[in-house]
Amino acid sequence: MTRIAIHLDGGYVPGLNTVIHGAVRAAAGLGWEVIGLHDGFDGLLFPERYPEGGTIPLTPRHVEPLSNASGCLLGTAPHADPFRVQQLKADAAVCETDRSDELLAWATKSGIEAVISVADSHALGGLWKLERRGLRTLSVPQSPENDIAATDLAFGFSSVLDFTVDILERAREAAAAAGRIGVVEVPGLYAGWLALQSAIAVGADAALLPEIRYDLSRVAEHLSRRLPASRGHGLVVVAEGSTPLETSETPGPAHFLKSSLSPGATGPAGARIHVGRGQSAKTVAEGLQRRLNHTTQALDLGRIALAGPPSSIDRQLGMSYGAAAVQAVQQGRTGSLMAFQAPHLDCVPLEQAVNRHRTIQKDCAWVQVARSLGICLGD
Amino acid sequence: MVLNIQHFCTHDGPGMRTTVFLKGCTLRCKWCSNPESIHPRPELAYNPAKCIGRTECGFCLPKCPEHAIFSTDPDLKVRINWTLCTNCSQCVSACPPGALSLFGHELTVEEVLAEVEQDSPFYRESGGGITLSGGECQLQPDFAAALLEEARHRGMNTAIETAFNVPWENVEKVLPHVDVCLHDHKISDPERHRKWCGADNRRIQENQKRAYETFPGVKFIARTPLIPGVNDDEAHIRAVLAFIRPHPNVIDYELLPYFRFGESKYGFLGRVYELEDFQPPSEELLARLRAIIDEAFGRATAITRKTQP
Ligand code: SF4
Ligand code: SF4
Repeated sequence: MTRIAIHLDGGYVPGLNTVIHGAVRAAAGLGWEVIGLHDGFDGLLFPERYPEGGTIPLTPRHVEPLSNASGCLLGTAPHADPFRVQQLKADAAVCETDRSDELLAWATKSGIEAVISVADSHALGGLWKLERRGLRTLSVPQSPENDIAATDLAFGFSSVLDFTVDILERAREAAAAAGRIGVVEVPGLYAGWLALQSAIAVGADAALLPEIRYDLSRVAEHLSRRLPASRGHGLVVVAEGSTPLETSETPGPAHFLKSSLSPGATGPAGARIHVGRGQSAKTVAEGLQRRLNHTTQALDLGRIALAGPPSSIDRQLGMSYGAAAVQAVQQGRTGSLMAFQAPHLDCVPLEQAVNRHRTIQKDCAWVQVARSLGICLGD
Repeated sequence: MVLNIQHFCTHDGPGMRTTVFLKGCTLRCKWCSNPESIHPRPELAYNPAKCIGRTECGFCLPKCPEHAIFSTDPDLKVRINWTLCTNCSQCVSACPPGALSLFGHELTVEEVLAEVEQDSPFYRESGGGITLSGGECQLQPDFAAALLEEARHRGMNTAIETAFNVPWENVEKVLPHVDVCLHDHKISDPERHRKWCGADNRRIQENQKRAYETFPGVKFIARTPLIPGVNDDEAHIRAVLAFIRPHPNVIDYELLPYFRFGESKYGFLGRVYELEDFQPPSEELLARLRAIIDEAFGRATAITRKTQP
């Protein structure tokens, strides 16, 4: 009997169980057996952590009742890397070791035809490496920021967008009641789709994206034109990865040995580095307050946006991605990524998504729509 | 494997000091302030602020055998796919402005001392000297011992910063050449120590006790990096005091408030900083905990800020 494995290789997005459900149901239709791996590859690499075993057999009877519930059946593995697994050696020293061989050996020994990985953009690189080492994989794209190249819609984005729109409506109401400008940070480190699309949905005053460096003076100017001089209220949506226009700071000459040894320590203060969630909203809120005669208030959606029940779009997308992944395995098309390119659900070579991000082009239709709605993009 | 040499530190031992950071560590504390010192081999670091961009430069792109360097629209600076990068360093020499560089260099004892001695007029005056830090400097016991021995020979005061999670043979090699030993008591409970630092503290405590007893001439200074909600409680401070007070050569116990020093460097190395939501400990809490230490030592204890490479 053909056996396949399925696991969640990446962070959390709402409704991951629906992908598992879709795959298990399609596999059952073919008479295949499905094994679920706990927490990325941890179920295989650290079976001792799981009292009932690191893997679990999955049948439609198991997964059906859980399909649309929030929470997830298998556990996720954000930032996991089977090539660098943190381990405690016998001599009490901690180190990172390459354990990819064990995964390959396990797949051969257990007669696994292919591993279906529900992967975020970070995990795709690792899967590509595993694929080249000989593990047969089939990836399903999941991303709360919809930043995976080669697919128009990654799983999870629609649910996160729904929630974000809901919160933005509330944030605007709260801002109106208090006569303030609400500044809401939403997920989106590389791609600003969530910020842009949610800002359009609620008709926000501004949306700041990782793709367009913003100038706060421009944003302030735009807001002051739109808002009454006092007690006006507004709503600004800020993507986590948005950055201000480069400042003119140039690094001074550093001590040569020091800079050659530890460049991170001596680099210019203005380097673009991710400084933790909530920071972008804070920077923007404070900067606007300094420039305007209005009070601002920062809010960070953070991880809450990534949990909860799936939207109806994600429910059917998840079922379809899961089922189509099984079909692709049946057709021998491993080494691919499932991609939704409307109206087709197909698979593309994994290379097409590794080292790429699906980002917003400055002249695309969404950007033009936003501008015509009077949404300032910071430029 | 030396990571960095930092001049004019005033917090890593007596007087004005020069700190030498050695690479490689046996713990993985989640709050680590020197993430570039964790791995024993040289590592690629990428500073996007210095990158000229793909259109005007892009020399690094064809150099990488792992396809780990890429560039996406619309910002034309390159990006590193850290999952694919193997730290082979082939891209580093291709980068004109030094946006790509290596953390970590092989240096000899003589090369390090030549660098350190530039500062000697300063620490002759202030009673300072050389401090070995890391990483875990006792992971390279022969190099550390040779360096400290020679430094002492040249009239410098010698200090190390260590977590003591190393085999006892290493300690035996290094400590005879040390005047001051700054060492961490991170978390008292072994299981919690394992959760936050990657390994439990049984061997650490064995080594500490044995070191206090075997090297009566070394001045030991205990330290705790105070991490909110992890070890900023009275019980831990009292447990450490109970552990160190029977040994007269443990002359001080310092608290290092957590200031998110290392956070920005995680980005350069493509690592994820897990403690993003933590806030530094409050002044009140610090004052209260310090009072407990003052009482145990019968004198005032200063709060120090740890210097960075
Ligand atoms: S260090 Fe080697 S693997 Fe890493 S980016 Fe540079 S050339 Fe590629
Ligand atoms: S060689 Fe250096 S400056 Fe040029 S594109 Fe690469 S990283 Fe940027």
